[in-house]
Amino acid sequence: MHVVHKPSTGKRITLALFIALILFVASNFVDEYRIFQGAQVAAYLVGIISIVLLTGFSGQITLGQGAFMAVGAYSAAIVVQEFALPIWLTFFIAVIAAALFGAIIGISAGRLSGPYLAGATLAFAVGIPALANAIPILGGEQGLSFDIGFAPGKYADTVSPYKWLFWICALCAIIAVVIAVNLTSSGMGREWRAVRAHETAAALSGINPARSKVLAFTVSSGFAGLAGVSFSATVGLVSPSGFTLSLSFLLLTGAILGGISHISGALGGAFIIVIIPTIFEAWTEEASLGVATYLPGIIVSALLLLSIALAPEGPSEALHKLRHRGHRKP
Amino acid sequence: MIRALKNRVRVGAALVALAGLVSSGVSAQAAAAPGVTKDTITLGMTSAQSGAASPGYNKVGPAMRAYFDYINEKGGVYGRKIVLKLEDDKYVPTNAVNKVNKLILRDKVFALVGNLGTATHTAALKKTPIIKQGVPDLFVNTGYSGFAAPKKYPTTFMYLPSYIMEAKIMAKYIKDKFPGKKVGILYQDDDFGKDGLAGFKAAGLTFVAGGTQKYASLSQATVGLTAQLTALKTSGAEVIILFGVTSATAVAMRTAAALGYGTTWGPQFILGSVGADPTTLLTLAGATTAEARAATLRSLTGALSLSFLPAATDTEDEYVKKFIEINTAYNKGVAWDNNVLVGMNQAMLVVQALRAAGQNPTRASLVSALKSKGGTFASAAYSKLDSANNVGFTGYWVGKYNSTGVIAPVDGGKPVVYTTDSSTANGDVATSTFVRPAMPADGVPTNS
Repeated sequence: MHVVHKPSTGKRITLALFIALILFVASNFVDEYRIFQGAQVAAYLVGIISIVLLTGFSGQITLGQGAFMAVGAYSAAIVVQEFALPIWLTFFIAVIAAALFGAIIGISAGRLSGPYLAGATLAFAVGIPALANAIPILGGEQGLSFDIGFAPGKYADTVSPYKWLFWICALCAIIAVVIAVNLTSSGMGREWRAVRAHETAAALSGINPARSKVLAFTVSSGFAGLAGVSFSATVGLVSPSGFTLSLSFLLLTGAILGGISHISGALGGAFIIVIIPTIFEAWTEEASLGVATYLPGIIVSALLLLSIALAPEGPSEALHKLRHRGHRKP
Repeated sequence: MIRALKNRVRVGAALVALAGLVSSGVSAQAAAAPGVTKDTITLGMTSAQSGAASPGYNKVGPAMRAYFDYINEKGGVYGRKIVLKLEDDKYVPTNAVNKVNKLILRDKVFALVGNLGTATHTAALKKTPIIKQGVPDLFVNTGYSGFAAPKKYPTTFMYLPSYIMEAKIMAKYIKDKFPGKKVGILYQDDDFGKDGLAGFKAAGLTFVAGGTQKYASLSQATVGLTAQLTALKTSGAEVIILFGVTSATAVAMRTAAALGYGTTWGPQFILGSVGADPTTLLTLAGATTAEARAATLRSLTGALSLSFLPAATDTEDEYVKKFIEINTAYNKGVAWDNNVLVGMNQAMLVVQALRAAGQNPTRASLVSALKSKGGTFASAAYSKLDSANNVGFTGYWVGKYNSTGVIAPVDGGKPVVYTTDSSTANGDVATSTFVRPAMPADGVPTNS
C-alpha cells in the first residue's frame, strides 16, 4: 500500500500561516480587480469545500448547497440589520445558523440517498431564494445590505476596500481549509469515508451510519454558511438572485472539476469557476455580446461533460491515479 | 523543513517591506485621467443584455455604440474616438457589482454611461469604487429618484425623469380625465416600483381595495401574472396602471387578454414609460405564438402611456429622422424602436458632455461641465435635462396606442408636455413651456 505522509496539525497551521503571509504580500502587488477576484475565489473555495466534505467524503449528493449558503448569508445580514452586531461576529453566526439548519435537514435527509437526496437538496436550492422573496424581513427581491466596511482605525484610508475584503475572505478560506483537512484526516473523516464506501460494513465495525451522515450534513452546512457570508461580503448584498440554482450547480461543477474527494481539489475548482469566464470574456470582447454572455457557461459545462465522459471521478482524481500508477512501475 | 520555512518567512518579510515601499511610491504619482489616451476615450456600461428582463433594454447599449461609431467616423470628440465597453449584468444586482468593478478596476474606463436598472445600480454604487474614485456615472437609465442625490452620489446623473415625476403626472391625468373611476396598479416590488407608489401617494391618488398588486422583479418570465391580474379584475378597477419592466408588461397584456380584456372586461390600461415599448411588447408576444401577438395587440389598443421622447414612429421629428439614418447605417439588422431612440439620444448627450469637459477632460471636469451646461444640451426630449441637480429629464406627454401599436398624443396634434419635480411633499404638475433645442447639423454636436 502506498503510504501517504500526513503532516501534523501543528505543521498544517504553520503552513497555513505561511500561505496567509504570501497572500498578504501578494495582495500588495496585484491590481485591485485581481484582488477582488481573489476574494471571489476564496468565497467559492469554502463553498466547494462544503460540497467536497458532503459528497466526496460522506457520499451524500447535494445539488442545493446554494440554499445553505443563503441561510448563512441571510442570518448574518439580519443580525447586522436588526441587532447591529459587529461584522466579525456575523461570520460565526452564519456558520452556526447554517449548521443548525443543516442538522435539521440532515436528520430528515438521512433517510434519503442517491437521487432522492439530490432531489430533496435541489428543492431547497429552488425554494429558499423564493422564500426569501416572500418574507418581508428578508428584504424581498432587492435583499439586504451586507457591508463589511473598511479596515479599522487609521488603516481605513490606506488599505483599499478590496484588500480588506480579500484579507477577510482569504482568512476565512484558510481557516476553512485547515479545519477541513484536519477533519478529514481525523477519526470522523475516516468514519465518513467508511460509510460512503460501504454502509453495512461500516455499521458492522461499530459506526452509526445515520449519525455519521447527519454530522457530515451539519458540518458541511456550516462551511456553506461561511461561504455564503464571504460571498455576500464580495457583493455587499444578500439577495435571492445571489443564491440561484445556477450557483449551486456552479459550485458542484467546481467541486467535480477540482476533484471531489480531495480538499486540495477545491482550490482548483474555485479558480476554474472564477477565472474561466474572465478569460473567455476577454477573448470575446469584440465579438457579439450574446456569445460573450453564454460562452463561459458553455465552456464550463463542456468541461464538466468531458470530465464525466473521460474521468468520472474528476480530472484531478484521474491525474492522482495516473501519478500513483507511475509510482508502482519499476 | 522547518528551516526552509524560516527562510521563506524571512523572504516573505522582505517582500512585505518591499510592498510597503512600492505602494507608498505609487500613491505619490500624479495620475492622468484614466481611460483617456491621445486617440481614445474609453467608457463603460452594464445593462441587461440577456435574461428575463432584457428584452428591449438590450438594444440600448448597442444603439449607443452605433451613435459613437457614427461620431468616431466624423472625427470623434476633439480627435479622440469613443470606445464603449458593454457588459451584461442580466438585471441581477450581484452581477452588476462584478461588472462595474471590472469596468472601473480592470478596463479603467473614464466614465460609466447609461447603466440600466434600479436595484442593479444601487448595488453597484454601494460596492464599487464609483464614489471613491469619483468616476462620472452619467445618465443612469432608470427613473429611481434616489439616484439624484448629489451629496450621497456626487458623480451620478440620471437620464429618465424620475418615477415619482412620472407617477405624479400620471396621477394628475387620471384625476382629470377619469374622475371618480376606481384605480388599480401592478408594480415591480423593488425601489423602482416603490418610487412610483410614493409619487402616486404624493399626488393623492388612491387605489381600490385589492387593486394594489406587485410582482418580484426577476420572476415575471417564469411565474406569470395571472394571480395579480385576476385580483385586479376582481377588485373592479376601471383604470389599471402597469408600472413594470417591458417583459412584465408583455405578460400582463397577454394575461389580460386571456382574462377577457376587449370582450367581457374593459379597464383602461396605463403603462409606465419604461415598460411600454410597443415593438418589444409585440416581439415578445410574437416570439411565442401568433395568437399571443394578437392578444397583446388587443390589450395594447387604446392603452395610454407616458413618454419623454418623441414617439419612435414620429418620422417627421428631426431627431428621430437622423437617428433612424444612423441606426440603418451603423446598427445593422437592428429594428428601429423606442429603445434604440433612448440609446441614441443618451449617446448624443454623452458626446456633448465629453465636449463640454474640454480638450483634456478629467473625471472632475466632466462632472462639473455636465452640472453647469447639461441643461443646454441638444436632445430629442420634450423637457429640460436638470443635470444641475443630477436629475434627468423633467417632463412627460401622454399618448394613446392605436390598433397597430403606434402611439400618438392622446388629444391629437403636438404632444402636451407636463412637468413636475421629484418632491413627495406635493403633487403639483404644470404644463411645460420648454422649447427644445434644434438637432445639431448632421447629428454631430459642436458644443464646447
